Amino acid sequence: MTSLPTPTANAKKLGLVIDLDLCVGCHACAVACKEWNSGGHMAPLTDLEPYGRDPDGVWFNRIHTFEAGADDQHLGCGTSRTTHFPKSCLHCETPECVTVCPTGASYKRAEDGIVLVNEDLCIGCKLCSWACPYGAREFDSDVGVMKKCTLCIDRIYNKNLEEVDRVPACVMVCPVSARHFGDLGDPNSNVSTLVRERDGYDLMPEMGYKPVNKYLPPRPKKVMPVAIEGGRRELEVSNDNALLNWVDRLLSR
Amino acid sequence: MKTVAYREVEAMTTGWWMLMGALAAFTSLGLLAAFYMEHNGHWVTGMTNQIVWGLPHVFAVFLIVAASGALNVASISSVFGRTAYKPLAPLSALLAVSLLAGGLTVLLLDLGRPDRLMVAMTKYNFRSIFAWNVILYSGFFGIVVVYMWTMMDRRMKSFSKPAGFAAFAWRLILTTGTGSIFGFLVARTPYDSAVMAPMFIAMSFSFGLAVFILVVFASSEMTNRPLGDALVRRLKNLLGVFIAAVLYFVTVQQLTGLYVAEKRDAVVFLLTNGGIFTVLFWMVQIGLGALLPLALLFAPPTAMNRPAIGLAAILVILGGIAQVYVIIIGGQAYPMPLFPGFEVTSSFFDGQVNTYVPSGPEAFLGVSGFAVAMLLVAFASTVFRFLPESLADEVVDPHCVAKARK
Repeated sequence: MTSLPTPTANAKKLGLVIDLDLCVGCHACAVACKEWNSGGHMAPLTDLEPYGRDPDGVWFNRIHTFEAGADDQHLGCGTSRTTHFPKSCLHCETPECVTVCPTGASYKRAEDGIVLVNEDLCIGCKLCSWACPYGAREFDSDVGVMKKCTLCIDRIYNKNLEEVDRVPACVMVCPVSARHFGDLGDPNSNVSTLVRERDGYDLMPEMGYKPVNKYLPPRPKKVMPVAIEGGRRELEVSNDNALLNWVDRLLSR
Repeated sequence: MKTVAYREVEAMTTGWWMLMGALAAFTSLGLLAAFYMEHNGHWVTGMTNQIVWGLPHVFAVFLIVAASGALNVASISSVFGRTAYKPLAPLSALLAVSLLAGGLTVLLLDLGRPDRLMVAMTKYNFRSIFAWNVILYSGFFGIVVVYMWTMMDRRMKSFSKPAGFAAFAWRLILTTGTGSIFGFLVARTPYDSAVMAPMFIAMSFSFGLAVFILVVFASSEMTNRPLGDALVRRLKNLLGVFIAAVLYFVTVQQLTGLYVAEKRDAVVFLLTNGGIFTVLFWMVQIGLGALLPLALLFAPPTAMNRPAIGLAAILVILGGIAQVYVIIIGGQAYPMPLFPGFEVTSSFFDGQVNTYVPSGPEAFLGVSGFAVAMLLVAFASTVFRFLPESLADEVVDPHCVAKARK
């Protein structure tokens, strides 16, 4: 019988912290994930007719894009922004995908909290992909088993790699360093500090699955002056600094 | 009531060969389809990473649900003491295990790895509702086979009632388990509802009885055995009650969904702008599958017309398949709300209504589940004495028997 590991105070919780302020939605993480896991032996991501008319295949990393703030009439259109939201398995602390798996093929490792699939036990019933509220599971229709992000377990513990390279492929490749990898169970780790300082949050915390991966929200956008209805408008700039106010008045003449 | 005599179906006749040949052909087509899907992988089907359960699951769930309901007649006879149903109790139990076998065959062959049946049977995660269902299905086979034994072996007759009680309780738990697979799906807005379990029980009563009525009609017609009006009247009235029960639970399910803010959009999608799912819901599930059968069963011109009752049973089955299709496929087609309130785009179809076009092999595999079930019924009825020689009123109807005695 498979059950979730008993939560302990100092348990290691490996995961990702993704900075939504920096992510530019370039898909490099998705491509690097695909590249590494297609070449690796732990979780090969199948490609079906990759050069055909209707290519298909398995991807662990997805980037969602949405607009936020565009409807705020008070702040004006200058406040809207496009948010790119990369999403892979969030390695939940109480993952439903593990609970529903009839054979125990889906499991959560006690030693580092990574959620994995034992492909030798998976019967391909796909119930885990129904149960995951984040849509993070991918059925490999060629092999007939369910697959998912492994946090590049074959990289992070790979002693043949330089220590600096022992991070997931998506973290390695991110051109703007929006992705961070570390132990979220350690309050002093770099990722925990980032989450604490930047008010990192969970995706859909109301579901109660306690995702380990965290997201750093976009920083508040500076309000830009807005030209309204063609007329010249006196800009309201509040500044408590007397010197700057004087410079401002001087330059505004 | 007279002592009911049972007799095997005569084998090797032209009709028998034709029936067995047709059923074997459909079964073979299903096996070929399963081999094709297994050999090439599920990407040759209409299933995707968004719609992970397709048409075979629709048929499999329908058959499993109907299996539980097919035991109605035996339960009414053993548990509730209605003697009129007693002659049909063995057939009822046989149909129940056969439908379950058909459903599980489809379910197994539609797995990503059907070759790992032994893994499914030997490795259990007891927190999984799916694993519980594996146990419930296996248990159902065991209990109903014992129940059949107690009904058909004179030495075991005294155990018939407790076995009937056990089978009755087990089937209720089994259908609760099947409904709960969907009821426990918290991640998907259209599911996650406690009403799923009782609704599936009502569905099982209706679908199972509809299949049973057709089997009784067909077997009495094909083997030239009398079938009295009294029994037909009881069966069709019972079917009407069960159709109404399903309608009640569907109404409760949809109204509850409209009341819960989180689910409202999903219900509105299904009821008004869900495309094929809206059409299937209103036209096939409600119109053809419930209202028209009710009219056929109770309107005076057709109420005791056997072709009309048979048609009503066929329509209930069609409506039932549509209902399971809407539940399984429609629920997956509705997008998962990852970012409520935002219009989300992505290269992976997230945030949009998912499409599903069933492939030919999926349809063949699904339909073959019925063929497997009927093949088992026909074969078992040929080898064992499941079918009564006569279901005439004077044999089965207690009122008719009492009147004759006076």
